[in-house]
Amino acid sequence: MTYYALLFLAGFAGSFHCIGMCGGFACGLGADPRGARATSVRHVLYNTGRLATYCFLGTLAGGLGQAICSSLGLRSNQGTPFLSASLDVGQRALAVMAGLLMIIMALSFFGLRGWHRATSSFGGSTLVNSLRSLLRTPGHAAPLAFGVLNGFLPCPLVYAMVAQAASTFDVLSGCLTMAVFGLGTFPAMLAMGGLGRLLAPRWRQSGVRLAGGFILALGLITLSRGVVPMAGGHGLHHLWHIA
Amino acid sequence: MTPRPDALCRHCLLPVGRRGFARTVNGEGCQFCCYGCCIAHQVKSGSGDASEAAWFLVRLGVGSFLSMNIMLFSLLVYAGAFAGADRRVLPTIQLLLWGLATPAVVILGEPFLRETWVQARHGRLTSSALIVLGSLAAYAYSTLAMFQPGGHLYFDTASMVLMLFTLGRYLEAAGRARASRDLAPLLAAESELATVVEGVQEQRRPVREVRAGMLIRVMPGERIPVDGLIVEGRSHTDEAVITGESRQVAKGIGAAVLAGSINLDGPLLIRSSGAGGESRWAQICRSVRDALRQSSRTQRIADRLVGAFVPIVLALAALTLVYWGQRLPLEQAMLTALSVLVVACPCAVGLAAPMAHSLGIGQLARHGCLVRSPGALEALAGTRLIAFDKTGTLTLGRPKLVDVTSDGVGEEEVLARLAGLERHSEHGLAHAIAMAAMVRGLDPIVAEDVQIVPGRGLRGVVHGEAVAAGSAAFMYELGWQLPSALSVRAEEMASSGHSVVFFGWSENASAGRARAALSFDDTPLPEAGATIDALRSLGLRVTLLSGDHAGAAARVAATVGVDEWQAGLLPEAKRAALDRYRSHHGAIAMVGDGLNDGPGLACADVGIAVGSATDLARETADLVLPVDGLWLLPWVVGRARAVRSTILANLAWAFGYNLIALTCAVLGLLQPILAAAVMAGSSLLVVLNSLRLERLPGPSYPSSLQSSAAAQAASELPLREQGQRRELALLKAPS
Repeated sequence: MTYYALLFLAGFAGSFHCIGMCGGFACGLGADPRGARATSVRHVLYNTGRLATYCFLGTLAGGLGQAICSSLGLRSNQGTPFLSASLDVGQRALAVMAGLLMIIMALSFFGLRGWHRATSSFGGSTLVNSLRSLLRTPGHAAPLAFGVLNGFLPCPLVYAMVAQAASTFDVLSGCLTMAVFGLGTFPAMLAMGGLGRLLAPRWRQSGVRLAGGFILALGLITLSRGVVPMAGGHGLHHLWHIA
Repeated sequence: MTPRPDALCRHCLLPVGRRGFARTVNGEGCQFCCYGCCIAHQVKSGSGDASEAAWFLVRLGVGSFLSMNIMLFSLLVYAGAFAGADRRVLPTIQLLLWGLATPAVVILGEPFLRETWVQARHGRLTSSALIVLGSLAAYAYSTLAMFQPGGHLYFDTASMVLMLFTLGRYLEAAGRARASRDLAPLLAAESELATVVEGVQEQRRPVREVRAGMLIRVMPGERIPVDGLIVEGRSHTDEAVITGESRQVAKGIGAAVLAGSINLDGPLLIRSSGAGGESRWAQICRSVRDALRQSSRTQRIADRLVGAFVPIVLALAALTLVYWGQRLPLEQAMLTALSVLVVACPCAVGLAAPMAHSLGIGQLARHGCLVRSPGALEALAGTRLIAFDKTGTLTLGRPKLVDVTSDGVGEEEVLARLAGLERHSEHGLAHAIAMAAMVRGLDPIVAEDVQIVPGRGLRGVVHGEAVAAGSAAFMYELGWQLPSALSVRAEEMASSGHSVVFFGWSENASAGRARAALSFDDTPLPEAGATIDALRSLGLRVTLLSGDHAGAAARVAATVGVDEWQAGLLPEAKRAALDRYRSHHGAIAMVGDGLNDGPGLACADVGIAVGSATDLARETADLVLPVDGLWLLPWVVGRARAVRSTILANLAWAFGYNLIALTCAVLGLLQPILAAAVMAGSSLLVVLNSLRLERLPGPSYPSSLQSSAAAQAASELPLREQGQRRELALLKAPS
C-alpha cells in the first residue's frame, strides 16, 4: 500500500505542476450555464477522460513490460511489485531504464529547463491549439473527449509515471499505477474550476518541487531494483522507509 | 455532395481522386482526398466557435475513450486479472465491453463505412471495404460469442483496428500537408480575396472579379492580389513566389508591383493594370494545379495495381479462413483471416508517388522553377542527353561591343558620335553601343535629322556634318570610301561569327568615309560553363543546337565547353536532330529561352524554358526556370532524380511491407491489432521517406562565379533593369 500511497502523493503534488498547463484548461472549461450541478458533471467528465487515458497508457506500458519479460522466457511476477523477492535480468534492465527516465524527468522539475522543453514541446503545440476549440463546445461529450485528448498531451510527469508503470512488468499493476497517480491529480484539478486562480504562485512552485522529489524517490527506487545486487525485498524495504 | 475528381484536396493539395468527399468546414464547402485529410484540416482550422472541427474532435475523443477502455479491460482479461476467484464477474465485464464497443464501432467506423458504401454504389471496392469488413466481422463474432460460455471476445480488435486506421490516416494527412507547404502560396491565387476600393466603400471580392483600372488596398503582411501600379503609399515587397528570389524590393508611388508578392511593411493603394485572372501569378497557379491534377505514369500503374489488390485480398482472406478453419478452432481461423484483411490495406502505395511529386514541385517552385507537366520530373530524371539552344539560353541574347578598329581617329570619339546617332535606334546593337559609351564615361554627341534605313543602317547630322553607321553595302550606297584596313578586319571578324558595323562621317563638307569598324558579339552567360560542367558531372551528354551560323555556334560551344554542336538549323531541322538523338540516347531534354524554340521544346521529352516571359498558357515547355536561372539546371536535375528515387523507394517499401506483412498474416503470425498498427506504420514510413526530400540542400550559385557575377551585375545594372522592365510589360499585357 505504501507504494500506491507514494504514487497518489506524487500525483497530488504533481497536480500543482498540472495547474500550469492542464489547470489552464480546467479553468477554461469553466462553468456550465445550467448551474453548479452541470458544472461539476462537466469537470468530473473531463477528469474521467484524463484518467481513462492514463489508465490506458499504464496498462499498455505494464503489458509491454510483461510481454518483454515473458518473451525472454521469464516468468513475470504478478501481484504487488517491489515486494517480490527476486528480479531477473530482463526486468533488471527495464527497471534501470525506467528509473533513469524518471530521474531525468524529476530533474526537469528542479529547473533543468532544457529537458523540460524537450519533453513538452514535442508535437504539443498543434494539439493544444486544436483542443481549444473543444473548450467552448456545449454538451457532455466535449469535456470527456477533451479530457481524453488532454491525457495524451506531452507532460514529463505522465512520462515518468508511464515509465514507472512499465517497470511493474504487469498489466494490472501498470493500470493501477497510473490510476492511482491520476486519482492523485483529481483533487487539485477538480478544484481548479473554482479556486485555481486564488492559489499563490509560490505554493505552486513548492508543489512542483515536491512532485519532483517524489518522482526522484520513485526513480531511485526503481533504479536500485535494477542495480543493487541481490535486490530482494530487504534492501528495498529499507529504501522504502526512507522515502 | 460529390466532388469533381480533378479538384485538389483542401488539406494536402493532392488531387481529390475518386475516393474524395466533400464536407462543410466553418461554413465553407471543402473537398478532401481522404478521411485523414478531413480530420487534419478540421483539427488545423478548428479555431472557430462550435465549428465542425470541434465536433469532430469530440467524436475522436469519445471514440478513443471507449476503445481505450475496451483495450484496458481486454488486456486485463487476457492477462488473467479476472482468473480464479474473480471469475464470476467475467460475464459482467463482457457485457461492459459490448456496451463500450457498440458505440465505438459506430463512431469510429462510420466514415469508413460511408466511404465503402459510396464507392460500392459506383461498383468499386476500396481499401476501406477491407477495414470495415474486418472490424465488423470481429464485432459480430464477439457479440455472438457472448452467448456462449467461455467464448473469446474480440471487441478490442474491432475498435482498435478502427482507432489505429483513423490515427494512421490522420498522421499521414498531417505529413502530406507539410509536403505541400511550398505549394500553398502558388495555389492561393484562385482563392485569394482582394479589397476593392470604390469611392468610400471597401469590399472584399474574389481576385478573378478584379478588372483593369480598379483600386485595390493591400495591408502590410498581405499578398498583393493583382499586377498594378502603386497609387498611394510606400513599402517593401517580396516577390519570391514569382521570381524565386526572396529579397526585399523598395516600392514607392508609381512603381509596378507583381501579383503574388507580399507587401511587407506599409499599406498600399494599387491601381490594377490587368484582370485578376490574367496575372502571371494566376497563370502559375493554374499551371501548377494542372500539373498536380494529372497523375504521372508511375502513379497510374500503382493505382491500377491497388485497384486489383482489393479483390485479390478478399479472396486470399476467404482462402485463409477456409484453410485454417479446417485445422484450428473457428475463432482463430477468423482472426487470421481478419489479419489478412487488415494488413493488406494498400494505403501507402497510393501515397508513394503523389506526395514525393508535390514535394518536388513545391521545392522547385520556391526557387522560381515551375513544373508544368506531371511526368516532367520523372522524365528529367531518366534523361541522358540535354540539348541547348544558343541565343538567349547559353548566351546573354544581347550583343556586346567586343572590338573597335578605327582608322585615323580615336576610339572615344567614334563611340561618342556613334552613341549620339544610335540613340534614335531601337536596334539591339544600339543598346550595346550605348552601354559601351556609358562604361567609358562618354557623353553622346547629339545627332540631328536622323534617318533609319531599314536593313542597312542609319544616318544623321552632327555639327552640320553627315554621319552614318551601317553595313559595308550602306557605305558603298552612300559613296563613302571604305579603307582596306577596316574591311580586312571586318571580314576577319565576320567570318568568326561577329556582327560588324561600319561608322563614318564627313569632314569639312567633303565626302565622308568610314572611320571605324565595330564588332559585336553575343557573349556567353558567365554561368554557362559551370552549368555545363555540372551537368556533365551528373553523367549527362550535352549538345548545342543553334539556328545561328556555324562560326558563332562554334565559338560559343568552345567558350562554354560543349564538344558537340550543330549550327544553321531551322526549327524543322532542330526537330529532326532531336529525333535522331532520341533514337540513340533515349529520353532527351531541350533547353531554350521559350521564345524562338517552342516547337523544339514541345518535341523533346522534357522541354525546359529559361526565363520565359511568354504567356504561360501558350508555353510549350514542361519546366520553366526563372529569368537568369540557367545555373539552377543541375540542381533541378538532381532534385528530379531524388524525386524519382524516392518514388521508387516508396513503392518498394509499400509493396514490400505489404507483401511481407501479408505473408505473416496468412501464416497466422500476426495479430489483427498488430496488423493494423503495422499498416498505419507503413503509411507513416512512406510519408517520412518522402519528407526526407525536404532535407536535401537548396541550389547554390557556382562559387567560382560569385565574385565575377558581382562585378558584372554592377556594370550591367542599367541593362538588367531594362530587361526587367520589358518583362514587366510582357507580364502586364494580357495576350
